[in-house]
Amino acid sequence: MFQFPNNLYTDIRIEDVFETKIHFALGSLEESKIRKYRAAFIRVFDGNRWYYASVSDEDNIQNEIDRLALMAEANSSINENPIVRKFEVNTGKYLSFADKNVSDISKDEKTNLLKSLFPVITASETIKMWHAEYLDSRKVTEFYSSKGAKLVFDTQKAGFAVTLTFSEGDKKLAEKFQRGSSFYDKLLNQENYLKEYIDKCEHFLRHSKPVEPGKYTVILSPIAAGVFAHESFGHKSEADFMVGDETMKKEWAIGNRVGSDILCIMDTGKEFGSGFVPFDDEGTQATATYLIKNGILAGRLHSASTAASLEEGITGNARAMNYTYEPIVRMTTTYILPGDKTKEELFAEVKDGLFVETISHGSGMSTFTIAPTLAYKIKDGKIAEPVNISVIMGSVFETLSLIDGLSDQLELITSVRGGCGKGEQFPLPVGFGGPYVRVKSINVQ
Amino acid sequence: MIREKYVQILKETTVSIVNSKIESIRLKDDSKTSLRLYKEGVIGVVGAIGKYKESELEAQAREALNMNIEYPCQPSCNQSEAVDKRTDFLMPEALLKEAEEFIYELAEAQPDYIFSGKIMLQETGAKISNDVSLDLEYHDRTLVLEILYKERSSANIIDGVFEYSGRKYDRKLVLEEANHLLHAYKNKVDLPQSGIYPVVFAEYRTPVKKLYTDLNGQLFASGASLFSDQLNKQVFSKDFTLYQSLNPEDVYNIPFFDAEGITNADYRIPLIDEGVIKYPYTDKRTAYKYNIKATGSSAAAYDSVPTLDLLNFKIKESEKTLKELLGGEMGIMVLIASGGDFTPNGDYGSPVQLAMLFDGERFIGRLPEIQISSNVYEMYGSGFRGICSDAVLPISNTKFAVMDMKVSTT
Repeated sequence: MFQFPNNLYTDIRIEDVFETKIHFALGSLEESKIRKYRAAFIRVFDGNRWYYASVSDEDNIQNEIDRLALMAEANSSINENPIVRKFEVNTGKYLSFADKNVSDISKDEKTNLLKSLFPVITASETIKMWHAEYLDSRKVTEFYSSKGAKLVFDTQKAGFAVTLTFSEGDKKLAEKFQRGSSFYDKLLNQENYLKEYIDKCEHFLRHSKPVEPGKYTVILSPIAAGVFAHESFGHKSEADFMVGDETMKKEWAIGNRVGSDILCIMDTGKEFGSGFVPFDDEGTQATATYLIKNGILAGRLHSASTAASLEEGITGNARAMNYTYEPIVRMTTTYILPGDKTKEELFAEVKDGLFVETISHGSGMSTFTIAPTLAYKIKDGKIAEPVNISVIMGSVFETLSLIDGLSDQLELITSVRGGCGKGEQFPLPVGFGGPYVRVKSINVQ
Repeated sequence: MIREKYVQILKETTVSIVNSKIESIRLKDDSKTSLRLYKEGVIGVVGAIGKYKESELEAQAREALNMNIEYPCQPSCNQSEAVDKRTDFLMPEALLKEAEEFIYELAEAQPDYIFSGKIMLQETGAKISNDVSLDLEYHDRTLVLEILYKERSSANIIDGVFEYSGRKYDRKLVLEEANHLLHAYKNKVDLPQSGIYPVVFAEYRTPVKKLYTDLNGQLFASGASLFSDQLNKQVFSKDFTLYQSLNPEDVYNIPFFDAEGITNADYRIPLIDEGVIKYPYTDKRTAYKYNIKATGSSAAAYDSVPTLDLLNFKIKESEKTLKELLGGEMGIMVLIASGGDFTPNGDYGSPVQLAMLFDGERFIGRLPEIQISSNVYEMYGSGFRGICSDAVLPISNTKFAVMDMKVSTT
């Protein structure tokens, strides 16, 4: 099919993409489109450097391979290179969505899904501005390598997001109701949930008061806990930050204690949702990787390059945002594993604290942050009055060691819009989640 | 029926650095074409990546008209202008060698650090033209450096980022600027005490976030913005003027026209003029719907209908130098402040992961992690000192914003 140059490693990733976007603002149709394209990313490696190019014209792939090969230096022992040795040689077709393909559902049906939500939204007098957006994507990836990989696999997600801006007098609130899944039929019949959510937002709008800044026991909802796991620890598990860094190798030695005994964090590309990637973008099959097990550092995320550098196993975490980018180490679906308390028990043990239910964003370096939207006081074990919080933050490692309670149900979230950013590659679809997570002390502003 | 074509071109050469060495080179040559048809108040849009057949694209655009996406506005017309900011300061063929020599010299000068990141030469082009004599074209070429640094002894995944972007390049000056920062980073200093300090922002997109969310034309005109009832009122300091700006001197690689072909005088329009809110930013459809001024703030993917989006804000510079704005006080220069946000009523809080004590001319040393807080009305009201008139760094043309904020240790 392709003429791979001698004495070099070469791989080609061809992406066949189908996407739908339907957007209403205040009930008026703003956008309704289907995007389809095939395009490719080519990598050539000479054992010293990588040479990359993207092409939108499939007929030009061979020319680009040849052009990159001219830039590289022939290496007769390329197949003995530690990185090249790490590459899996997978073959076959792995199509999970061939018979549940979002491209088989008409745009009218998707439009009507959004329209079914409109009466619930327009019934609220406090919603002054709203957008409703349906998005889906199915990508069939073909992967070929000079080592012999010949692979076809697919990923898919569908979802809708309703962005709501509430206003009553001087009180304002911006919130979002969204549902996402790998399967379209999971999005149906959400009107009652939306109504409940709008009622909750209106109560928050009318009764929320600024929080008194300070340190609180905080319970994070599954979505907040998932973002916390992703931002606070997930990024630090991406092994590209450790390459050639002796200090990091010591600090991040497998077996080091990094959190409380009850804490386990997992990353897996095997779960359906926005982090489902049965193979990564260099042809490695997905794995489930414990990042933390019972508070102990248990693993990290790798591409072939980082796995070779650190002499560890590949994990299927080399991912690219689209056909114009090279794969780099990224998360897939990252979550905190559930514990042994019921949700009610978790709350009942808090005399005076805060509950973060929804968030607008999070970040994590040595300090993590989460910007809550809907948040509440906890008084005597019960959720009480709503509070406005700018941001909660803390030292990542201190906070991981302060987790003292986990509920017993796991909830995974498929993001509809946005995703994870790393360097220039944003947004990459990822999944995240967890149980309800209690932290003994978090700084609240 | 009016036919309009919008073409966007990106040619990019990117060198990646890992562990202070060149790891890869990536070549991009991407063109995207949007074809729009306007007919009887509706718009049909289709797009293509790379090569396409004109007749097929037009047939698809005609079909897209059947979706009845309302567009009750006139396409821009009767204007022809071309701006080309490209110079040959560095050519793509020379980038790899230059990057090798740059990173070698930086690593030699700073052996205590590990460097990673990207050096990117970007050439962009945009052209919009239609049947009613609109013909606007823009070209630009810039160098972008994003170098992550980390002390070898540090347990952080990164300690900071050195960034430069511009239409000129001088290795000696870039290294001088990077070395200045990296030397200061090693000098740990304490925050004298919690209190109100002049806080200096090199990049003020985060602290103006409340302005760009709440000056959004749809939010503003629908009554959902914090500022909805404050049009033409003195809300902020008289020293505070905020432009929506596509002036090529204010922004790189973004054309001087928006996705609907609107241009403004001097490519800028004041949304807030001397503290008075004058306009929310709008695209044509928002302006039409609410009968307000179209400020030319639309964006469009290659296959999308143009929609309201924030393009670029610029705060008007004062006549004072940075040292004069600090008035003899030590400033706190914010280099990384990730994760902060505003509450709906405008209160602002953010951790500052990396800040330097700064005397108006030089970085003095690295502060511990701190928190900053204020309120949007104070940040751009009584606490607003201004944007400096001078560029104090060796090569970057950064004009720093200074505002008094509450600062505390974590």
